[in-house]
Amino acid sequence: MSDSKTTITVWIFALTLLAGLLVLPQLLSYSQREIAVFLIINVLLVVSYRLMTLTGEWSLGHVVIMGVGAYASALFSKRLGVPVPLSMFLGASTAGLTAVVLSFPLFRMKGFYFLIGSFAAGEVIRLIWKYFTFPFGGAKGLNLIPSFPDIGWISFFDPVNYYYLCLIVVSVSLFILYRVERSRFGLTFHALHWQDKLAESVGVNTFRYRMLAFTLASFFAGLSGALYAHYIGTVNPTRFDVEEMVYVLIWAIVGGTATFYGPIVGVVALTIVNDVLLRALGFDTIRPMIYGAVLIASVLFMPDGLESIFPKLKRLMMGRKTEPATKSEAGEIP
Amino acid sequence: MNNPTRKRGMHRRDFLSSTAAITLMATTSWPKVVFGAEETVKIGFLAPLTGPVSAWGKPGLDGCQIWADWVNQAGGIMVGGQSHKVEFIGYDNEYDAGKARTGAAKLIKEDGVKFIMMLGGDTWPGVQPLAANENMLVSTLLPSDLTPETDMLIAPCEVHPIYNVTGVQWLAENYPDKKRAVICAQDDALGKPSVATYLAAFEAAGIEVVDEPLFFDPATTDFAPVMTRLLSSDPDILCLDTSYADYVHPLCEQAFQQDFKGTIISCTADFYPKIIEKTSKEFMEGFIFQFPDFDDPALNADQVNFPRPNEFYAEYANRYGEAEWGAVSWEYASIMDLWADAAIKADSFEPADVLTAMKDGGTGKHAFGDADWWGEELFGINNALVGDWPVVVIEDGKAVIKEYKSIPAWWAQHKDLLIKHFTDLGQMWNQRG
Amino acid sequence: MSELILQTIVNSIYAASYMSLIAVGLVLIFGVMGVINFAHGELYMAGAYTVVALYSGLNLPFFVAVVVGMVFVGLLGLVMEYAFFRALRDNPLGGLIASIGFLLILQTVAVLGFGVRMAHIRPSTQEKIELFDGVLLTHQRLYVIVAAILLLTALYIFLRKTKFGWAMRACAQDTEAAALQGISLNQITRIAMFIGAGLAGVVGALTAPLVSPTPYMGHSIIVTAFIIIVVGGIGQLEGAVVAAILYAFVHTFVTTFFDGVVADMVGLVLMLLVLVVKPTGLFGANDRV
Repeated sequence: MSDSKTTITVWIFALTLLAGLLVLPQLLSYSQREIAVFLIINVLLVVSYRLMTLTGEWSLGHVVIMGVGAYASALFSKRLGVPVPLSMFLGASTAGLTAVVLSFPLFRMKGFYFLIGSFAAGEVIRLIWKYFTFPFGGAKGLNLIPSFPDIGWISFFDPVNYYYLCLIVVSVSLFILYRVERSRFGLTFHALHWQDKLAESVGVNTFRYRMLAFTLASFFAGLSGALYAHYIGTVNPTRFDVEEMVYVLIWAIVGGTATFYGPIVGVVALTIVNDVLLRALGFDTIRPMIYGAVLIASVLFMPDGLESIFPKLKRLMMGRKTEPATKSEAGEIP
Repeated sequence: MNNPTRKRGMHRRDFLSSTAAITLMATTSWPKVVFGAEETVKIGFLAPLTGPVSAWGKPGLDGCQIWADWVNQAGGIMVGGQSHKVEFIGYDNEYDAGKARTGAAKLIKEDGVKFIMMLGGDTWPGVQPLAANENMLVSTLLPSDLTPETDMLIAPCEVHPIYNVTGVQWLAENYPDKKRAVICAQDDALGKPSVATYLAAFEAAGIEVVDEPLFFDPATTDFAPVMTRLLSSDPDILCLDTSYADYVHPLCEQAFQQDFKGTIISCTADFYPKIIEKTSKEFMEGFIFQFPDFDDPALNADQVNFPRPNEFYAEYANRYGEAEWGAVSWEYASIMDLWADAAIKADSFEPADVLTAMKDGGTGKHAFGDADWWGEELFGINNALVGDWPVVVIEDGKAVIKEYKSIPAWWAQHKDLLIKHFTDLGQMWNQRG
Repeated sequence: MSELILQTIVNSIYAASYMSLIAVGLVLIFGVMGVINFAHGELYMAGAYTVVALYSGLNLPFFVAVVVGMVFVGLLGLVMEYAFFRALRDNPLGGLIASIGFLLILQTVAVLGFGVRMAHIRPSTQEKIELFDGVLLTHQRLYVIVAAILLLTALYIFLRKTKFGWAMRACAQDTEAAALQGISLNQITRIAMFIGAGLAGVVGALTAPLVSPTPYMGHSIIVTAFIIIVVGGIGQLEGAVVAAILYAFVHTFVTTFFDGVVADMVGLVLMLLVLVVKPTGLFGANDRV
């Protein structure tokens, strides 16, 4: 099959999706629009997380890195008076820089050691926020963070407007992340995942590539944190604790990380289940139990993630003439 | 005993004589059937209902359910010449600011609630912009949420941690020879301001704090080292600060096991009979804290505004079990009393009108007696309702209200100390991020 | 001062005891299933609530409740094995997610059965021993220490001296090779799950009168357990015990002489240092991931 043909299909699909996303808030109730804002921020978070996992390392510090972006952007704008759009960029950069520094101790570890090591590094950062009331606000965190400035009559307090702002920022970010994955760097990330010894032997500096992936992922996680902070107006250490991280892990794995869209499907589906469906059905105390059962069922019956149903659907729709979907080239879970 | 249903029925009928119903009968001569049942006023309950913080939310919603049943049984709230039934709409914010914001949006925009009750803390700042925009009246249990900007946020029940000064004051008056105190607290937004308050209260009472306050992580499972450290400076007062109930129990157990002989003072002592079971009656004798039993007959004193506390407790224990009872079980309900009174007085459910009526004259009917709207110097706004607070002491295995002490009176004398210690620990409103 | 130090050592020994039982259970499960069991803290919680139900509720003798707790939680381990771990053996991240799902279910069951507030357990004994002048150890704590010594010794003997133990260790080292040797993988994993979960259960049951059981108490234990098994070298039983002792002593001493919060920080930094110097933990083989 021709490459250009698939590219066109992808573009058509992307544009339809974009059109759908543009209309979406008009179809939602006010509180659902609020959920949509947080959802789209989480999409950026979980997609950036996937970039990190491409190199084969799973981090438990990604939400804390998001928090670094949130805290930094909040502090730049609140204490130093930096305009919010610029402070968001600075916040994201701070998160990226933090990743550069953390690379040195963390990339000595691999696998589960890296998993827990990244967790410990994140906890140290969280304890610093908690311990130093100045400038981080201690356990209560930061309040009254400046919001995104109005543009003309457009107020970003309104969830619809902020949704569109996030949609632009997140779309551009996703585009960049997508291009990175398709570039030489992205291919090297994949190679590191599968054959790091081999890659090293042919002269690839594995440390540098791992650091690059970590830094890029952290930049965009930081950006998602900044988007969050200037919308909600408050950040505190508990918001970025390991429990939140577990949710990101759940979204990524339940969605599947073999494809670019897997984690997006995961976060969208699970947010709708947990925050819309189960609440609407009036499950109060037993909401976590049902959510837990959904998790178990999903990994049991869709071990390759929700993403694995799309090729199947495609095959169903196109009849039997297409060849069976090639086993995901991006790789599976280590 | 044999017929709890009938007994409860009696209580509901008794309740007819209480505030809401009196107003109902006094202001209308029309029969209730014509109006009433159809009209409903909705109240939002936006607190953690699942997860580790749910112990501060869920029992409160349960208590409000009883409150609503009783008020509705008695005919509802009379406003605009019509009686309104009260309906609580709960939203689980999971103690997360984002979910709280979503919840507030749903409660305000879609459910049309007239008042939102929150636990506060981490979740309040997420709601703040929306509440300000929509002019929604919101209550919190944590006055440390108050800042000069929060003119629609009230802290009308829990004035935590300021009421802790009353316990220390009582201690100093009754045990003048106890002069050496130590403090421990969990390291969070509840523990720290409370430590500042106790430090100020001890200083005001001339009691020396002989060691640095010891902070422990909320995830602590073994309290032996904490207690070993505390007792190593040979104190005769052990202050457990506002440690959560799950910590007060093992801390007391350890104090007992490590042979502490002095007096313990604490903000709470939930389920203290169980602490006695784990220690001894003698050990717990003289334990000072701030939350009375609601079956305490002393709560029927004239000054107490909480209607029928004993029956409320009995009904709660009956419905949900004694083990679910805690301070929040009655606190949210007592805020509802205040709100309902104000709504009737304003003859409106509109948040701004209710707030004006509530704060009219600068005083209000707090659960434990008439109180002042206060807080300017500590929080930057007079939106905390502060008056008398009971000092409770365990005597012969039973918590007894020893005295209602005035917080404003203490404040008038020692406010500089409190401000000093709040400033030292970074807890003043203008120091918080 | 010497009294304070001695008492702190006694406190540390107690902490080391329960931490090592928890960590060893976690390592055992990891060894044969290749999965980090996120629900381990909730198994510990289930052990505590068994004592709440049987000892406080039904007034059965304390030790009967403890034994039932151990068996019951062991059975919960079997349920986990049967329900999802077996199907997810080659999928560690799937196993992780399933265990998180199970954790949410266990928490909710505890909330429904016992409420969100803390449960109460009267002490089984208030006796204590005075080891030295002013250095105390309560019987309730002594039980935990004795249980740790007995159970860990028994486990050691079981792993070293019995056929099952030998097979289990073979499994933990190389699952496929073990299978080729004719070892029944399912049987081995069942035994490991039962023991691993049962150890968490027995700790929960024995310490229940010393802590305040809540449906969310698992949180407090799981993070510490992760730190310990990583410092010890994942999959290393001896490493887990040594790391537990180390962590318990450091944490207890820092709590006593500084602060509980500082102790957490020191614990984390220490762990990072160990991993930076030796990225596979103290006892980890160099290339095992």
